[in-house]
Amino acid sequence: MSVLSDVKTAGPALDPVVSKAKKHRRPGRWVVLAVLLALLLLVVAPMLVIMVNAFKTPSDYASNGPLALPESISFQGIIDFWNRIDFSRKLLNSLVTSLSVAVLGVLLSVLNAYALGIGRVRGRIWFLVFFLVANLLPQEVLVYPLYYISKELHLYDSPISVIIIFTVIQSAFGTYLLTSVYEEFPRELLDAAEVDGAGRWRTLWRVVVPVSRPTLAVLFTFFFIWTWNEFFLPLIFLVSNENQTVPVALGVLQGDRLMDATATSASALVGILPALLFFLIFQRTLTRGITAGAIK
Amino acid sequence: MFRPRFLSAAGALLLTASLALTACGSDGSGDEGADAKTLTLWHYEGPNSAMGVAWNKAIDLFKASHPGVEVKFEEKSFEQIQQNAGMILNSDSAPDILEYNKGNATAGLLSKQGLLTDLTEEATSRGWDKKLSASLQTTAKYDEDGIMGSGKFYGVPNYGEYVMVYYNKDLFKKYNIAVPTTYAEFTAAMDTFVKNKVTPLSVGGAEYPAQQIFYELALSKGDRAFVDDYQLYKNKVDFHGPQLTYGAQTFADWVNKGYIAKNSAGIKAEDMGVAFEQGKFPILYSGSWWYGRFNDEIKNFDWGTFLFPGNTLHPGSSGNLWVVPEKSKAKKLAYDFIDITMQPEVQNLLGNNGGVPVAADPAAITDPKNKELIDNFNKVSAADGLAFYPDWPAPGYYDVMVSGVQGLINGSKTPAAFLDEVAKPYNENLADLGK
Repeated sequence: MSVLSDVKTAGPALDPVVSKAKKHRRPGRWVVLAVLLALLLLVVAPMLVIMVNAFKTPSDYASNGPLALPESISFQGIIDFWNRIDFSRKLLNSLVTSLSVAVLGVLLSVLNAYALGIGRVRGRIWFLVFFLVANLLPQEVLVYPLYYISKELHLYDSPISVIIIFTVIQSAFGTYLLTSVYEEFPRELLDAAEVDGAGRWRTLWRVVVPVSRPTLAVLFTFFFIWTWNEFFLPLIFLVSNENQTVPVALGVLQGDRLMDATATSASALVGILPALLFFLIFQRTLTRGITAGAIK
Repeated sequence: MFRPRFLSAAGALLLTASLALTACGSDGSGDEGADAKTLTLWHYEGPNSAMGVAWNKAIDLFKASHPGVEVKFEEKSFEQIQQNAGMILNSDSAPDILEYNKGNATAGLLSKQGLLTDLTEEATSRGWDKKLSASLQTTAKYDEDGIMGSGKFYGVPNYGEYVMVYYNKDLFKKYNIAVPTTYAEFTAAMDTFVKNKVTPLSVGGAEYPAQQIFYELALSKGDRAFVDDYQLYKNKVDFHGPQLTYGAQTFADWVNKGYIAKNSAGIKAEDMGVAFEQGKFPILYSGSWWYGRFNDEIKNFDWGTFLFPGNTLHPGSSGNLWVVPEKSKAKKLAYDFIDITMQPEVQNLLGNNGGVPVAADPAAITDPKNKELIDNFNKVSAADGLAFYPDWPAPGYYDVMVSGVQGLINGSKTPAAFLDEVAKPYNENLADLGK
């Protein structure tokens, strides 16, 4: 997608004189374009296959195979899927979980990073190492302890357990990243705030957070999308159907020995749309880069 | 969608380790929850599948006979139950009754950990044991080590499954081939296809189908004692004995003769089925789980089924089980529900929707195709011919079998080398079990 928009913005900006002078280079440019298009097609191809199959009837799929175009557009697969798993409910669950995690995760990361990066707490290297290790730990290792703790706290089979777990997991990464950003935070700004009589709390909210807002926005977006796509831990902690998130619910269609290819495609299509939408909305924040900020 | 295998393996490992720690704490609940007002019920069959239809009916019947009881039904994903059953059943979120996979690694393991209710008493007093044939009961009973075949009833199957030959009647007619009734006629039919440049068998070598062909071929030289040895560890299996050697050798011959295409090593089961549905192959050898789907989806040609000619033993088993968790709060209601699913009304519905009921009245099955399916199953089941599946005897054996048989298809392994390869994990598992 960014390829397309780049091409578009680059087009009109070209000076006519320059473009005339560069005319002899055209073949090379076409080759680049063709290669880019081919790559784009490679990336998009699986999505296209999903699109094509999502709108087929099962018997159409059976007689013509996965690559043929649908004989007629059928929304039945999508409608059936939506009703079968009560998709609206799952969307709401995912939205609440991801949003809570994104907000809480960023908050926690900021507080941690403020202490570690700007506050320069003693032994902070070890804190960072700890966060990094926590971040590298595969989720499978965490499953049993988390299961046991959540059962003790009566949070098993509750969205709150997932929100807490992912807030911690995501903020481990956030702390690690944000600390290195805050270590480079301009001392002049902090000194100025101190001279003006701002306490630590006020400095954080009035100076540090506003200046690093672009970075925080990127973190927020990442946390949201990552949490949205999480499968393994929600699968384990959200037992009841009414608590499940979108990726977990999509699993319903995957049987023991059989799969329903058209329904699975329909579900995949419906399942990625929200994340895609969110990505498009926040695309500008993302492309701004993760370490943006500081003094202009 | 497809999670890497090591993830589930790691998850399973953890589960096993964790459950061993905690399973001891299940306290026997004295009353059977006779006065419970809700029944929480889980299964993972699609609403249009034979089981889904029949069980919906069972829920309706249950509601009618239990006024005032609320049934909380949730459709689960296979993967969620497969991965987490142990953890869920050990928590307060356990349902009152659920569908669960049969086998040592699943129902057997949970029964050993004390997470499932012993159903032996109910099975005998309500007559479920009379309705289930001996080979169906094998997967319903587990001993104290969680090994199937003997001990107590921990589950009740409603349906069966078996592996058979699906054939494209139009293509058989086109080449003037009669439905084979002996092994010789079967290979002659496939020879005719090969002569006409048609690959006879649609095979998914990347998944379960290919190993089932190998197993079926081995079974043609085997008897019940061989199956008991292989599946229930009664005696040591000689992997270079006549049965398995014949199976591996014949499988390799089938590849050489062109019955099985060399490129099928990379084909998934789903693609194998779709290729057959498109009429690209005249024969598909696979299980009754395809039946309902073929019935719905094949519109372009006429098709039928027959049992693998010449065999009395076929891969197959009971279907998944109804199990009652030890933590169930409404055991009495759960037993009542199981009893309803075993009634002719529900069983016949299962049969009429393309499933294989265990206790239907054959006369009540109206569709001639479904009747053929069920008659064949009854034939196999009555002859004690369900031989289970080749990947059952050891944990993780499925992947061993898949890669082994793939080697036979590519020709990268000789039959003897293949047998050595699959013997190793089997014998290691035996050693782990202390046999």
